[in-house]
Amino acid sequence: MAKEAKKIHFAHEFKELEAITEWFEKEDLDLEEGLKKFERGLELASSLKEYLGKVENKVKEIKAKFAASDEPEEDTDAPFK
Amino acid sequence: MNTVFSVSKFIEFLNDSLAALVPYGDVAVEGEVANFKISQQKWVWFDIKDETGVLNCFMTTWDLKVPLEDGMKIRAYGYPKIYQKSGKFSITVKAIELVGEGALKKAFLMLKAKLEAEGLFAIARKRALPRFPEHVALITSTGAAAYTDFLRIARERWGGVEIDVLSVAVQGIQAIPEVVGAFRYVNAHAREYDVCVLTRGGGSMEDLQAFNSEEVARAVYGSMVPVVCGVGHERDETLADYVADTRAATPSHAAEIVFPERHEVLQSIAHYCARINRVVESNVQTRQHAIHSSVSRLDSFFARRVEFLSHCAERVGSAGSRIAERVRAAQQNVAHAHARVSSTFEHVFEKIFERVAHNERMLKTLSPEAVIQRGYSIIYTADGTKPVTSISQVDTGDRIRVKLKDGSLLAETLKNFNSLF
Repeated sequence: MAKEAKKIHFAHEFKELEAITEWFEKEDLDLEEGLKKFERGLELASSLKEYLGKVENKVKEIKAKFAASDEPEEDTDAPFK
Repeated sequence: MNTVFSVSKFIEFLNDSLAALVPYGDVAVEGEVANFKISQQKWVWFDIKDETGVLNCFMTTWDLKVPLEDGMKIRAYGYPKIYQKSGKFSITVKAIELVGEGALKKAFLMLKAKLEAEGLFAIARKRALPRFPEHVALITSTGAAAYTDFLRIARERWGGVEIDVLSVAVQGIQAIPEVVGAFRYVNAHAREYDVCVLTRGGGSMEDLQAFNSEEVARAVYGSMVPVVCGVGHERDETLADYVADTRAATPSHAAEIVFPERHEVLQSIAHYCARINRVVESNVQTRQHAIHSSVSRLDSFFARRVEFLSHCAERVGSAGSRIAERVRAAQQNVAHAHARVSSTFEHVFEKIFERVAHNERMLKTLSPEAVIQRGYSIIYTADGTKPVTSISQVDTGDRIRVKLKDGSLLAETLKNFNSLF
């Protein structure tokens, strides 16, 4: 669950920042809304930067027997019988 | 006493002994394929031979993972077995590795053509990778440099990603089933992963043959998670590469493709901020300009009004003073005119009086009375009404009246002379 929350975090926030940037360049600026978006943009930028600044990758080895196959057991004697 | 076996028991004994002697997977037989045939689409028969020997091989089509042809050099993994019914000695082959560039290249090309025809390499089915991966499945051998390279590049570029490592053999007899098994695991947990990386370092075509196998190609094809495949060096091409959604040249390159670069993303963020700032600033400036210009328009409007009003006031003032001036001038003119008129009149009257006096004097001198006084006389008609000034007024015998200084005479004309005396 924590992972899901984080997943939403970076990609989602980056996308939101992109969308805000595009909004600013497309729309006729409504000052009130623009100010809100401006503040949100700054907030996003600082949270994204913070994320980039301190997070490490987490490497985990999956312990499983991959070779265990689901192939059917053939009776290899069959052709010789 | 020698041990006596029944035939069946002896065959069983031999098979057990052979199994103990040649454990599966430990031994491979290398040779060239001959008499290759498939019966009932199920059983595969061929001989494996060298210059001086030949062995019969048997396997199922299920176990035959590489395209096989007479003349190909192979390494067969399996166990030797004597079959009960026929007494025939055969190697039951469980896996085949192709040996030598020629065989490998040939098999590669055959399989490539087949898979290509089936559409496994179609561009249309290639999926986009997530821009910011959060959970990556990494199928590789943890013992190899490819693994450490991949993790190092990942760490250098990006953070916050969970990397689940599915450690598999990347060459040898276990490579194919383990890689296929790893993809099976990824598919079973497909919801967790947003990208799957299949990678190994460089090697000979023989080393890489698991990645040229139909099973691995199909496992990549069947992956529910987008696959990035980075096998070998730049020049190496494998079927797994072709099937993968994204092909990377090397393991490091795979990491570069999968993970965004921290600094680039930071730059993007800075760039977005700058773009937003620019728009906001230019808007604020525009508005400031608008306010300034409104204010200055108002300013100049009022300034003009004030100027106009003061101008009016000035004009009114100057008009007032001009009027006063004019009135004063007019008054002066009037006074002046009056003075001139009166002086003129005085002068004129003076002259008139002078003339009158003169005329009076003249009249006095010229009057007949004055002439008479000086001794002259005046002749009038007899009735005394008209002075006689011409001879023509008087005929002979007409009476005339003569006026003198001190009285008058009535006389009769004796003779009219038409000349003086």
